Amino acid sequence: MDKLEQFFFLRYIKAPKRNLLRFSFVFMTLGIVLSVAILSAGLNLFEGYERSLKAVLLGSFPHITIQNTAESYISPIEANMLTTKLTRHGEVSSVLPALSYSAMAVGESKVRGISLTAYYSDGSTALPFEKYVSMGNKQLAKGEAIVGKYLAKELGKSIGDTLKVVYPQLDKISALGIFPSQRSYKITGIYSSGLYESDRSSVICTWEDAQALLGISPGFSKLEIRLQPQYVDSAINVSRKIMNRLGSEYYVYPWTTFSSGLLGLIRMEKWLIFIIFCFLVLIAGVNVISAVSTIILDKKNEIAVLKTLGASSASIKKLLSYQVGLVAFGAILLGQILGALLSLFVEKQGFYKLKGDVYFIDTLSAAISPLNQVLIFCVAALLVTVCIRYPLRQIDKLQIMELLRNP
Amino acid sequence: MLCIAGYNLCKSYVDSDQSINVLTDATLEVETAKMICITGQSGCGKSTMLHILGLLDAADSGRVIIGGREISSMMPEAPQIRNSELGFVFQFHYLVEDLTAKENVALPMIIAGSSSVVAQKRASELLSTLGLASRLSRYPNQLSGGEQQRVSLARALINNPKIVLADEPTGNLDPDHSAEVWQMILQLNKQREQAFVIVTHDRESARLASQTYNLAQGKLSLLS
Ligand SMILES: Nc1ncnc2c1ncn2[C@@H]1O[C@H](COP(=O)(O)OP(=O)(O)O)[C@@H](O)[C@H]1O
Ligand SMILES: [Mg+2]
Repeated sequence: MDKLEQFFFLRYIKAPKRNLLRFSFVFMTLGIVLSVAILSAGLNLFEGYERSLKAVLLGSFPHITIQNTAESYISPIEANMLTTKLTRHGEVSSVLPALSYSAMAVGESKVRGISLTAYYSDGSTALPFEKYVSMGNKQLAKGEAIVGKYLAKELGKSIGDTLKVVYPQLDKISALGIFPSQRSYKITGIYSSGLYESDRSSVICTWEDAQALLGISPGFSKLEIRLQPQYVDSAINVSRKIMNRLGSEYYVYPWTTFSSGLLGLIRMEKWLIFIIFCFLVLIAGVNVISAVSTIILDKKNEIAVLKTLGASSASIKKLLSYQVGLVAFGAILLGQILGALLSLFVEKQGFYKLKGDVYFIDTLSAAISPLNQVLIFCVAALLVTVCIRYPLRQIDKLQIMELLRNP
Repeated sequence: MLCIAGYNLCKSYVDSDQSINVLTDATLEVETAKMICITGQSGCGKSTMLHILGLLDAADSGRVIIGGREISSMMPEAPQIRNSELGFVFQFHYLVEDLTAKENVALPMIIAGSSSVVAQKRASELLSTLGLASRLSRYPNQLSGGEQQRVSLARALINNPKIVLADEPTGNLDPDHSAEVWQMILQLNKQREQAFVIVTHDRESARLASQTYNLAQGKLSLLS
């Protein structure tokens, strides 16, 4: 900035009413504020969606799953030995032997496929489903079950009712047909994670009940590993380490095997939305171009005088761009604030809910990440800067003489 | 010693297939600290002459010499010479609307690279000597026509140029204000040894000049 540019810049800041609150800036400001607000609200909501989906996926599913390659059950002794080995890894926060399989829940007139899960616990660690029990009791006793919110609703059941669960034993087909094994449980809790699919299919019971229904001797179908929070994103590396240690007898699946495709899709959608909404800012840029053109017309006498007095076209362009730029950048910031308020409003409002069967989760939430805000500001500022500079090229062509002769 | 001179200046405009020869062979020599007036009928080319001398417009042929050096408006150093060696006063005041009187006057000094504090201090002094001490922080639209023209006179003077070019500086003023501005010009010319080249219709006031020229048929002739 040379002295002239500095001088005008300070003028704009010290007398904003006279220099910045011009009528020709009104539509430019409105356009920028609205488009940036939409851009930032969109990104905040998508970021929130991505984060809450990831949080619920990581909250309800294991970070790493270990299964036997022989497809047989893991015996308690084996599970004990594996647990000891696995807890030696600093990244591992807990190891839970679990028994999980598909079965059917039978209501008065409806049958639903369910995913039955049971954990073996010595009571030292909180079980993963506990934090999602929204009603009733978190602790399970023999003959009791916790049932997913939507499953209970679809079957017309609530706490205190009994739930009939059927397991078709396909390996025990006799000449007379399939003899399913079946049990009835008393519903003592409602499970509500926010993940639609889980809430529609989960039934959790005690380990002993699950074995009895399955008709096996004590055993587990898998070990669920939860990692320390800081290692969750590097679950692939950790599972590679575990795989090397356990050898070829076990499959080791990090959570990304099941969920990274979905999360990747959502992340891509988020950036797609971002790019599309950036075009809105570009449309607002048209107003910027017209505001700059207007101000050049308004001020052509002053431009002629400054040129006469020896100022270069380059400095005149800069001091005009500071004037428009200050307003435009202010509008971008205002738009970001408005966008944040807008996304918080959408989060707090009660009349529109996500469809869980389409969007996996059913609550909207906003995440205002500083990094995204910086990104929005930079992209919007870049677009606006281009739109300011483009019409300023006219100044090079303005002839002092023509301006002085036609005041 | 010559401070500014134009020799054999020619300028013509092409206007709807017909070319108008505004200046055909105009020559003017101005010595240091002299006051020159140029008179002539409206449309005879007085402004054109002044613009060429002031490096705002280019002549078709002829030479302009400022401070012993031949120079034209196309040269890259022209803006710098306009800033430091020349001062301009136009018929319309051309003050920047959003700047106060003081800030307007300070502009040429700021463009030359002075800090705005120093420039505004100097501008205040200058405006005070022109009798505008009480108008420093007024905006142009809060000043009378005479005051506006005095402010643009101060702006023309702030970089202490050797030559001030004025194009009908009192053309838009009533007789009282007009006399006030002429008085000021005369006084400045005596005190500061600056040369003035003034285009005017006012034959009475033109008598105050050291030399008066008349522009007709594209040539300048000495009247007195
Ligand atoms: N850009 C232009 N195109 C065509 N004719 C012009 C242009 N500029 C000036 N003229 C003509 O040149 C003549 C001289 O103009 P000017 O120097 O302004 O006269 P004065 O200042 O003596 O009244 C006028 O007839 C005017 O119409
Ligand atoms: Mg004229």
